[in-house]
Formats: sequence, C-alpha cells, structure tokens
Amino acid sequence: MVKKMTEIISKNLNFSYDNKTKILDNLNLTIPSGKFSLLIGPTGCGKSTFLKLLAGLYPKYAGKASGKIDLGNLKKAMMFQNAGEQFTMETPRQEIIFALENLQVNKNEYEKRLHKAVAFTKIDKLLDQKIVTLSGGEQQKVALAVLVAMNVDIFLLDEPFASCDPEARKFLIKKLANLRDQGKTIILSDHVLSDYEEVCDDLFKFTGKKIVQLTENEKNNLLQANNKKANYTFSIPNENNASVFTLQNTEIKQNRLLLKQSKLKIYKGKTTLITGPNGVGKTSLFKALTKMIPYSGSLTYKNKEIGKLKARKYLLQVAQIFQNATDQFLNITVKDEINLSKKNRKNKFFSDDKINEALAYLDLANHLDQVVYSLSGGQKKKLQILLMLISDQEVLLIDEPLSGLDHNSTKKVTHLMRESQKQRKQTFLIISHELEGLAEWCDYRLVFNHQKLEYVNK
Amino acid sequence: MNPSFESFLVLIISLEISIKPSLVTNLLIIIFALIYLIIRKIKIKSLLTLIFVPFIAAFTIFATLFWFSPKPDLYYALNLSTRVYVYTLTISCVTIDTDETKLARSLEQNIHLPSKFAYGVLAALNIVPRMREAVQQIRTAGMMRGVYLSFWSPVLYFKAILVALNSAENLAQGMESHGYVEGKERSVIIPIPVKKSDWIISAVILIIVNISLFMFK
Repeated sequence: MVKKMTEIISKNLNFSYDNKTKILDNLNLTIPSGKFSLLIGPTGCGKSTFLKLLAGLYPKYAGKASGKIDLGNLKKAMMFQNAGEQFTMETPRQEIIFALENLQVNKNEYEKRLHKAVAFTKIDKLLDQKIVTLSGGEQQKVALAVLVAMNVDIFLLDEPFASCDPEARKFLIKKLANLRDQGKTIILSDHVLSDYEEVCDDLFKFTGKKIVQLTENEKNNLLQANNKKANYTFSIPNENNASVFTLQNTEIKQNRLLLKQSKLKIYKGKTTLITGPNGVGKTSLFKALTKMIPYSGSLTYKNKEIGKLKARKYLLQVAQIFQNATDQFLNITVKDEINLSKKNRKNKFFSDDKINEALAYLDLANHLDQVVYSLSGGQKKKLQILLMLISDQEVLLIDEPLSGLDHNSTKKVTHLMRESQKQRKQTFLIISHELEGLAEWCDYRLVFNHQKLEYVNK
Repeated sequence: MNPSFESFLVLIISLEISIKPSLVTNLLIIIFALIYLIIRKIKIKSLLTLIFVPFIAAFTIFATLFWFSPKPDLYYALNLSTRVYVYTLTISCVTIDTDETKLARSLEQNIHLPSKFAYGVLAALNIVPRMREAVQQIRTAGMMRGVYLSFWSPVLYFKAILVALNSAENLAQGMESHGYVEGKERSVIIPIPVKKSDWIISAVILIIVNISLFMFK
C-alpha cells in the first residue's frame, strides 16, 4: 500500500504566554512525515512549547496562538519532559488500559498492543509496579511504552532520555528508528546530540523565535562532532584519606533491595561521580543520605550515625540538589530565592557582586522578578544549582545537574560548580548520565550496579 | 460482588439504620461484617485499628448520652455508639473487596457515571501519595536552606498547594495526551460485570436488614 506523503505544516504560527514576549514569531515550517526529526536549541527557547502546540495541548492549556498547524490528519501523542506528571493511573498496565480505552480499542487488540509495547520497551518487570515508586528513567520508558501501545502516527517526545543511562538511551533511539522504519513520524527534542548520527533524518534548530532546518552538511557536521567518544580516567582513592561518609553493612530498600554494601568510604573535599543504570537506586542513595528514607546497617557522616543526627543541623551541612528543580524552590520570584540563599552564606566566596555576575553569566539577570515556576526547564535548573552553591554546605549531593541543559549552559554550570568546589574544598557527590563537562574534573568515579558501589579508574 | 452494588448497599443500610433505630440490627450487622472481614482474611493489625480507632468516637457518644446527659438513656446511647461501628465496618467490607481503580471502572460501566468524574477522582487519589512525598521533600528542602517548616507553616501549605495545582494542570494535559477526550465514548478492556448474584445477594441482605429493623428494637 502506497501511503500519500503527508507533511506537518505550520503556517504563520505565532505563540506567546503573556502577549508580551513572543516565543514563536511567524513560523513557517514543514516537517516531513515518516521521518526521524530532531529539534535542538538553547535552554528555554521554546522546544517544549512547540511540541505542545503540535500535540494540540497549547493554546488550550496555556498561552495565545495565531496561525495554523496542519498535521494532515495524522494521530499524535506526546511524551512530556517530566514523564512522572503524565500518568493518570497507578501502574503502567493500568495506564496503558486507560489510554487504549480512550482510543476505543477492544480487548483482543489491547492484548496484542500491550504485548508489543512491553516487549518493545522492555518494561515487563515494571508493568505492575506503582508508577510513583519508579525511577525517573524507568518512568520515561513507561511513557514511551504508552505511546507505542497507542499506535499513533506522530510521536512527539520532549527530552525523552534526560534521565536514561547510556545503554537505555542507545536502546531507545534504536527502537525509535525502528518505529520510523515502520512509517511512524518521530519528532524529538534533545540537548545531547550523541547516538543520532545514523538515525536522524532531519535536524531542526531553534534560532531567535524561528525554527530552521539545517542542511544535510550542517546536520552531519554537528552530529559527527558530537559522536566523538572521549576516554576519561579517574584515580582510585587511597583508603587512608579522610572520609565524609562511611558505609558499613549498609542496606537500602525501596520495594526491592537496592544497595547492600559491606564497606565503602566517600572522601572529603573530593568530587565523586556516581553512574549506573536506570532504577538501580542512585537517587535512593541520596535520599538515605538526607534522611528522607531509612536504611539498615551503618551509614555515618564524620563518624556519626546519620539516623541519629538531628535533621535540622545535619541538612545545613549536607544538602542535595534535587533531580527536579522545582522541588528546591521555597519562594515565589527569582529575587526572593536568591535573597533566601544569601542569608545562609557562611563565607565570602559568593559576595553580592559575585552573585550578580553569576546571574548574568547564567542568563538569569533579566528574570529576577519572574515567578520561579514560570521559568523554562533549563532556567530552573541553572537557578537551582546557583542557589545551592550560594548557601555553602560542606557536602552537596547533586542529582543529574545537567539534565535539560544545552551545551552552552552545561559549560557554564559545570564551570561554576567546579570553581566553587575547588576554592571551598567542598565534597561533591554527583549523579549524572552525562559525562561530558563533568568527567574531566571529577576525582573519583563510583559505579553503582548489582546493589553495590565500586570505585573504577575509567 | 460488583463494587457499585456493594457501595450502594452499604449506603442504603447506613441511611436506614440512621432513620430507624434498632440496636439488635446494629449488632447483627456488626457481627456479620466482622465475620465477613475475617473470611476475607483481613490483617490482624487492620482489624485492631478498625476496632480501636472508632472506639474513641463511640465511647465519646456513649459517655455524652449516658453519663453526662440530664436524662440518661442506655438504649439510645448504645444505639448511637454502635452506629459508628456499623458505618466503619460496612465501609471496610467494601474497601477490602475493591480498590479505587475497580470502583471507578464500575461506576463508569455499571452506573454510567461520566468518565470525567470517575477518572478525575482516580487521578486525584493517585496524587495523594505524591503530595505526601512532596510535603516531606519541601520540609527537607527547607532545612537544607536554613528554613524550618513546621506542620502548621503557611509556606509548607503554599508550596504543597502549588505542587497540587501544578500536578492538576499537568494531569489534565497528561490525560489528554493519552487520548482522553471529555464526553467521547470509551471502550471497555476490563469489564466489571453485573451478575445475577449481585442482584440476589443485595436483595436478600436488604430484606433481612429491613425485617430485623422492624421486628427488633
């Protein structure tokens, strides 16, 4: 059967949230169907907005639009940047049932589609677990499975791999390429450009309220440049060095056993990178270290059992930069947040001038009066990291600091983190799937797998 | 038993015993509800909670009407305090059989409640654990920045409400992105059947309750 080539067309499209600043200005764009299109652009440029416009969620739920979007009668569905906020039901299975009932799919067809979607995304083990207990990366896999089960024509994916480990990422990109080969249209936004070289058909770039398609040459140059694999080396710590955290017969459980560690030290004044597959328990480890979940065995901070320390005092020394930026905010505007962090300064590293400089450096200086929740994903992340660097804790547990940041912002954020760590001799523990920009300056690397943490040298 | 039938049965019984006092009926319902819960293998801990927590309310009612009333009436006091147990135990009989997903499906399929209500409520219920986690997270985030948020702190609730509002809006978008359109017909993948036995059991229980209500004091 020969399908007529349809195109996704936007004509004279304008969009703004507040009638003042336009996000899209008279956009005329054609995206081919049945292709793998990648959408790139700096943090906060409007990638999520554009995808939500294509998905038909905007302007219904926010903002004002004029102009036309024509999807050529193709069915579409979208996966959100924060996958966890997209689910109505308790478990992945129930969510797939809910979505298929909405599409008036019958029971036989459901069985087939469920089977296909589960095999496709390899989520069989997650199918009947509660979604709230799944890790960020697992939720993204489940969100993709729902779209596969819905069998839509256009897959709109907003940073679908932000919390995925490299293997899961490669696996899912390959799978999306399979879908494309079956005639589906993939439109995806991402900040990380690796692994797309063989797969991506068209590359679209946001520049100044418009989206332009890059030429074949520009596309290849950009994707190849990003496909270079760097080899990183790390040192193996000397066991006699001073430690901040010591684990001894420590166990952490969340539904299932996540960590069973007989002995481990985390060293003082050093930056330790923690990597490991999705759902292995990296964030849960941080939760145990910040007294949010219990542990068994011994887990000490400067030789004192963490379970027995007073949270109010302890958390002023050991703080976390959460995976989800909004979790960190306590006030309304950017300025209020900055002022709150200023109150906690103990030394002069972040002087008022230095803070203003950092705000300008992170392109946040013009957003001081903005409500923090209305910042873009990347802007929230930048602000969050700055806030936590200002209030100078001895130990910072940093969970996926680079997710949702473009290349330029990544550079700036890592520069600030590095400077702050080196000059104040802070202890950093960083969870990240993205090594670029981090691995060069981290002292040690811990690999978390099979319920164990282990130092490695590469 | 069908969740909607079970819920309505419990609702009717509760209404009836509120209108027509009968201590014997109350006690019979309590006994049968307890037996049913034990047959359904209720956990000992839940059973004890079910007995002791309502006891506070039941005892208060009894004390007010019997010891602190100018005209103490033992029958009236016992009748009202046992009602507390009738309500809690019969509702437990429903919840031990049904989870909220099944009830929502049943309300949609059997009672033809608009899906907006059924799934709206369900989605809201699924936010509850997220809210609980959010409150803990907010408190921790506060302590990390030198702000102690007590359980009565307005900032804590302001943040929690923001989280809820934000989740609610995302939820509406999330439902739509998974194909939900208000008022559009949906198929049934997991049917919740109404069996003959549902009608018969409900009718029999109602008849027995009514006979007992009017026969015994």
